[in-house]
Amino acid sequence: MNSFEALQRRDFLKQLGLASTAALAAPSTSLWGNEQIPHPQARADSCIVIWMAGGMASPDTFDPKTYLPYEDGLEVKKILSTFPAIDTNVDGVKISQGLENIAQVMDRGTLIRSAIQPDLGAILHSRHQYHWHTGYVPPITVAAPHLGAWMSKVLGPKNEVVPPFINIGQRLEGVGEKEELKAFTTAGFFGSEHGPMNLPFPEQAVQSVQPPKGMEPGRFSNRYKHFKSLLDQNPNRENMSDFQGESMIRSMEAAHRLLQSDEKHAFDLTREPKDSANKYGDSRFGQGCLLARRLVEQGSRFVEVTTEYVPFLNWDTHENGHTTATRMKKEIDQPVAQLILDLEARGMLDRTLVILASEFSRDMMIEGVPGSTAPDQSRARTDNLKEMKQYGLHRHFTGGSSIMMWGGGVKQGHVYGETADERPLMAVKNPLSIEDLHATIFTLMGINPKTAYEVEKRPFYATKDGIGKCAKGVLA
Amino acid sequence: MINHITPKAFILLAMLQSSPALIGKIDFVHQIMPVLKKNCAECHTEGKKKGGLSLNTLGEFLAGGEGGEVAVPGEPDESYFLELVATDDTDDRMPPKGPGLSDEEVHLLHQWVQEGMEWPEEIRLGSSGWEPQLKPRVVTLPPAQAGRDHPIDRILDRDLSMRKVPLPAAAPEETFVRRVYLDLIGLLPTPEERDAFLNSTSDKKSEELVDDLLKRKIAYADHWLTFWNDLLRNDYTGTGFITKGRTQITTWLYRSLRENKPYDQMTRELIDVNKESEGFINGIKWRGSVNASQTRNMQFAQNVSQVFLGINMKCASCHDSFIDRWTLQEAYDLAAVFSEKPLELERCDIPTGKMATARWMFPELGQIDKNATKNERLKQLAGLMTHPENGRFTRTIVNRIWAKIMGRGIVHPVDAMHTKPWNEDLLDYLANRFAKDEYDLKKFMHFVMTSHAYRSQSDLLSGEPGLEYAYNGPLPKRMSAEQLMDSIWQVTSSHPQNANAKVERSYAHKGNLPTEVKQFAWPEKINAKWIWTKERAAKINLRKEIVLSEQPVAVGILATCDNAFSITINGKSVARSKVWQKPVKLVKTDLFNSGKNTIEVQAEMFGGSMGFVGQLVLQFTDKIKVIETGPDWKAQVPEKDWSTAHTEKEYGQGPWNKVLHSSDIQDGKTGPEPPVRASLVANNFLMRSLGRPHRDQVVTSRPSSLTTLQAIDLANGEILSDTLKEGAMRLSKSKNTGQIHNWLYRHALGRNPTPNEEETLLAVTKNSPEQQGLEDLLWMVFMQPGFQIIR
Repeated sequence: MNSFEALQRRDFLKQLGLASTAALAAPSTSLWGNEQIPHPQARADSCIVIWMAGGMASPDTFDPKTYLPYEDGLEVKKILSTFPAIDTNVDGVKISQGLENIAQVMDRGTLIRSAIQPDLGAILHSRHQYHWHTGYVPPITVAAPHLGAWMSKVLGPKNEVVPPFINIGQRLEGVGEKEELKAFTTAGFFGSEHGPMNLPFPEQAVQSVQPPKGMEPGRFSNRYKHFKSLLDQNPNRENMSDFQGESMIRSMEAAHRLLQSDEKHAFDLTREPKDSANKYGDSRFGQGCLLARRLVEQGSRFVEVTTEYVPFLNWDTHENGHTTATRMKKEIDQPVAQLILDLEARGMLDRTLVILASEFSRDMMIEGVPGSTAPDQSRARTDNLKEMKQYGLHRHFTGGSSIMMWGGGVKQGHVYGETADERPLMAVKNPLSIEDLHATIFTLMGINPKTAYEVEKRPFYATKDGIGKCAKGVLA
Repeated sequence: MINHITPKAFILLAMLQSSPALIGKIDFVHQIMPVLKKNCAECHTEGKKKGGLSLNTLGEFLAGGEGGEVAVPGEPDESYFLELVATDDTDDRMPPKGPGLSDEEVHLLHQWVQEGMEWPEEIRLGSSGWEPQLKPRVVTLPPAQAGRDHPIDRILDRDLSMRKVPLPAAAPEETFVRRVYLDLIGLLPTPEERDAFLNSTSDKKSEELVDDLLKRKIAYADHWLTFWNDLLRNDYTGTGFITKGRTQITTWLYRSLRENKPYDQMTRELIDVNKESEGFINGIKWRGSVNASQTRNMQFAQNVSQVFLGINMKCASCHDSFIDRWTLQEAYDLAAVFSEKPLELERCDIPTGKMATARWMFPELGQIDKNATKNERLKQLAGLMTHPENGRFTRTIVNRIWAKIMGRGIVHPVDAMHTKPWNEDLLDYLANRFAKDEYDLKKFMHFVMTSHAYRSQSDLLSGEPGLEYAYNGPLPKRMSAEQLMDSIWQVTSSHPQNANAKVERSYAHKGNLPTEVKQFAWPEKINAKWIWTKERAAKINLRKEIVLSEQPVAVGILATCDNAFSITINGKSVARSKVWQKPVKLVKTDLFNSGKNTIEVQAEMFGGSMGFVGQLVLQFTDKIKVIETGPDWKAQVPEKDWSTAHTEKEYGQGPWNKVLHSSDIQDGKTGPEPPVRASLVANNFLMRSLGRPHRDQVVTSRPSSLTTLQAIDLANGEILSDTLKEGAMRLSKSKNTGQIHNWLYRHALGRNPTPNEEETLLAVTKNSPEQQGLEDLLWMVFMQPGFQIIR
C-alpha cells in the first residue's frame, strides 16, 4: 500500500466511522450503489460562505471598470462603474473604492472574476440563490441539499458537539420570497440531521443553545435529569426498545450535551473581548462574521453568513444603486477583512475556505445577458441621468460576476478569469459555471464532485449530474 | 470566447468534456449503462443469452458465455469482449448488426474495465428480474391457522409458519387503543375513552372501536389530510404562490375525505379536473424559464405516474431511464395528454426534433385518442387510470395505506412499485379487495385494522429495516409533526385559534327541514345574479338597503356563496355557510321592520370561481315581495369604497347550475367546529423541524428518527415552550395536583405511572412553583419515546 492509498484508506475508514455514527442517529441516505468514491485530499476542513444576498454588482465591488461620476444628463449607457478603482496589496489588482480594508487582504486569496449563471428567463433572486446553494436549478423533482448539508453529510461534523451546518443572518419568516428561501435552506433529502441550524440574529444566537426563555439553568438540567430517570424507570424500557426510540434518546442526549458544553459559548457574542468584537462593527452582518469565526473555531464544518436577502433591500438595488452600494460596502468591508485577519492570526486560515459570493452581478443596462428574454426590472429607468437615484447598476446581470476565495488551498494574491472591459461585461476568460464552482469548492474540501447519494432509487450528485469540473487554476 | 451562455450550451460543453481522456473515474450508470443498453441488451439480457452470455448483472458478465470468460476486471487485455466490440472484422464484431460502437464508446468500456468494472449490485441491465403485473391477479387464500380466518392473517400466517416464526402475540389492549386512535384520527384516546375500551366486555370491542372512530368524519379528515397533502403536494403557503403559479386543492380534498369519496372517483376528479381540484395536475408554474423536465407538462407526467402508479418518470423526463424501463418518449407522451400544444421531446434540455404523441404507458387497457381535445384526453386518461383491470392503480394505493398503518409498505419504498413486494399474495389480495369494495378507503382501513396482524404486538427492530426485511408484526411508527402537535394540544387544550386551510368542518346539521320552511310560499322562478366586487378580491362585503312601509309577516331566505358567507339583517346575524353546494334555506319572522332595513353579507372565496347568489322572500298579509341579488346591490373590498355589485353570472349559469333549487340544503346555523388541528395550519418552524415537508414536490415518507437539531428545538424552542406554558396554565386551573400524574400518564402514554415513576414525577412538581413544575412535567412526558412513537 503506497502512501496515497494509505491516506485514502484512512479517510475511508474515518468516513465509515462518521457515516455509522450518522446512521445511528438518522435513517441514513446511502451512497449511490454503495460505492466508495475516492475523494481528493482535503485542503480545508471548514468552510465559511459570506453571502452577498440580492446580487452584488461586481463593477462596483471586485471588478471595477471605467468610472464615470454622477453628472446631470450623463448618458446612462456610458456608465460601467459608479466608483473609482483603488489599489490593493496585490500588484496590478484593483478593486472598487469603499473596500479599502478588503484591499489589504487580497494577497491571502484568489479573486474569481468570471463566474457565470444560466439564463433562466425572468429573474427571480431566490431561484438563482437556490441554484447557487444547491447546484441545481429549481424546480427539481427532489428536495436538493444545500452546499452546507453536503459537507455535513460527506465529511460529518468536525466536532461532534457543534452542529456542522449553521446559517447566520437570514430570516425565513417575515420577509418576501420566504417560502422560496426555505426551499433551499435545507438539507433536503439528507434529512434534518444535516442542518441547517438557523441563527437569523447573531446577538440572539446564544438563545439557541440556552434553556428556553425564563428557565434557570438549574431547572433546565434538573428537567433533563428527571427525564432520564423516567426513561430508566419505564417498566417497558427493556422490552420496548426499538431503533426509533433509541435514536430519540441519543439525539436528546446530543442536544443536551451541546447545551451544557463549553462549545456553546461560541454562540455567545458577549463573551468576545470588547476590542476584538469592536473590530467587526456593530451591524448585524458584522456580528454575523464574528459569530462565524467563533463557531468555526469551535469546530463547525460549514457556516454561512449573509447580508440578508430582502426583496429590494441591501444588494438588491433596483434603484438608488450607487448610494446603496456605498452603504453595503461600508457594512461588509471591515468585518470581512477582520474575519480573514482573525483566522490568520489563529493559524486557521490555511484550513478554512472562505468564499464571498452573490447570486449574480448587476449592470447599468443589461438584464440577464444580451439576447435574454428576461424583462427589465429596473425601477429607475432613464436614458440620461436626472437624479441621483438613477445612478447605479439596477439590472440583474448573469454574464460575469466576482467571487472571492480566501484561505484553505486557494492561490494567494491571484486573479482567475476576467470579464470584458466594455459592455457587455461578459466573462471572457475561464468562465466558471455553478457546477464548476461547486466542483472547485468540493475539491478543496476533500469531496469528489461526482459523489452521489441514492434518492428514489436514482443517483443524486454533488454537482449536477456529476458534471462539475474543478477549476484547477484556483488551487494553490 | 463565450458571449452568451445558456443552460443548453452548458450541457453541450459538459457532454464534450466527458470524452474519456478528460475525466477521472467512469460513472457506470451514466456512461456505461447507455452503451451496454444500446449495443448489447437486445441479445444478452432478460432471458436472452446469445452465445450463452447474459449481461443482466456483473456476475453474469463475469461468468462469461459458451467460449469461457469474456471480461476480467482491471485487465483490458484479457477481456475478450473489448476485442469483439472494437474489431473491424464484420464476422466477429459485436453487435453484429448496425454500425457498431463508436471509438468513444470503445474507449469508455476500455477504461471501465481498466478501473475494475464497477457495477453496483442492485442495478440490472435488464429488468429487475421481477416485473410488476399490470392486471389484477386472483389470489387463492391459504387455510386459516389457529382459527385466524381473516384473509390478511391467512396469508401472513402461512408466510410466518413457512419461515418457522411463531405468530406474533396480540398487543396489550392499552397499546392497541392508543395505536388505533392515532392511526385513524391522529388523536390520543382521552383517559375516559381509553377506560371505556378497556372496560368494555364486548367480544367484538376492537372492531367496534374501529367502526366508531371511522364515523368521526371530521377527526378522520383532519388526520388523513396530512397524508393526502403530502401525496398531492398541496399546501397553504409555499413556493409558487408568490407569483400565483400554483393553486390549492384544499377545499375539495377535505370535503372528499369528509365524505369518504371513493378513491377512483377522487382520482378521476384529480385528472379530469374541476376548478377546485385542478391545482394538482397544474403543478407549479415558476417565474422565468425552467429545465425542459420541469415544465408544467412534465410535472404532470411525473406527478400522475408517481402518485397513482408508483412509477418514477423523473429519470425518463430527461433521458431514457437507466434504472427502469421507462423511456423519454413515454414520459413525453404522457405529458402530451396534458399539453395544450404539440410537444417536442427534449433530451437533457436539447430538442430532439421528435414529437410526443398523447398516450399512456399501458395500451393493454386502452389508449387515449391523440386527436381529442385536452379535456377529452384528460377524461380518457382518468378512465384508463381507474380502469377495473388496472391493478397497478389499486396496488399502489393499498400499499401506501398499508405502509401508513402497518409501518412499512408491502412494496418498499412506496413510490417504487416496480420493486418486488415481500408478499405478492398479500398485495394482490388487498388490491382486489379494495376494488371489490368500490375503492372505499375507510372500508379498506377497517379491513386491515380488524385483522389479527394489525392488533399484534409491534416488531421492535434495532435498526432501520433493509432489503432483508421480513414481516414479524406491525412496525412502530414515529408520530408525524402533525400528530405530535395535535397530541400536545389535545392534552394541554392549547389548540391554535385559526386554521389556514379553507375547509368546511362544522358538525353536520341533523334532522329534518322545519315545516315552516317546507310550507313557505317559495316562488318557482329565481332571477337572481351571482354577484361579487368588480375587483375579484378574496374577501368582500355586500350590502342592500330596502325601505318597507310595513313589517312582513315572515321572510324566507335562500342563499349560497362560492365559497363562504355570513349574512346579517339589521345587525342581527342570521346564517353562515362554507359549502356552496348546500344552500342556506330558512324562514324567519322578526327580522325586518317597517322603515329602512339593511342586509349585509360578508363573502369569501377560497380560490377558483366566486359569487354570491340569494333570494329573500318577504311575505306580507296580502302579497309577497322578492329581493334578489343583482346590480342593485352594493359591493366593497373591505376598507375600500362601495360600488355597484358586479354580476359574475346569471343564476343557472356557471359551474353552479341551479344550486338554489337543490334539495340538499342547510339551515346555515353551522354548528361549532372542533378545535383546529395541525394539518389545517400553515407549516411553522417547529413542524418543519419535525419533518413536515415543504410541499413543492410529492413527498410520501417522513423521517423516522429524531435528529439532534430537532431535539434542540424540542429542548429549547420557543414554539414548544410557549405551548407548554399555556398548557400548564390551563391544566393548573382544571386539575388538582393529586390527580394530574395519573391523568397525564394515562392520557399521554396510555398507562398508569409505576410507583418509581410516581416518585420522580412528585420530585418534579414538589420542589418548584406549580406552574413551572407542570411545564417541566409536560415536557418530560412529551419527550418520552413512549409518547412520540406509536407502538
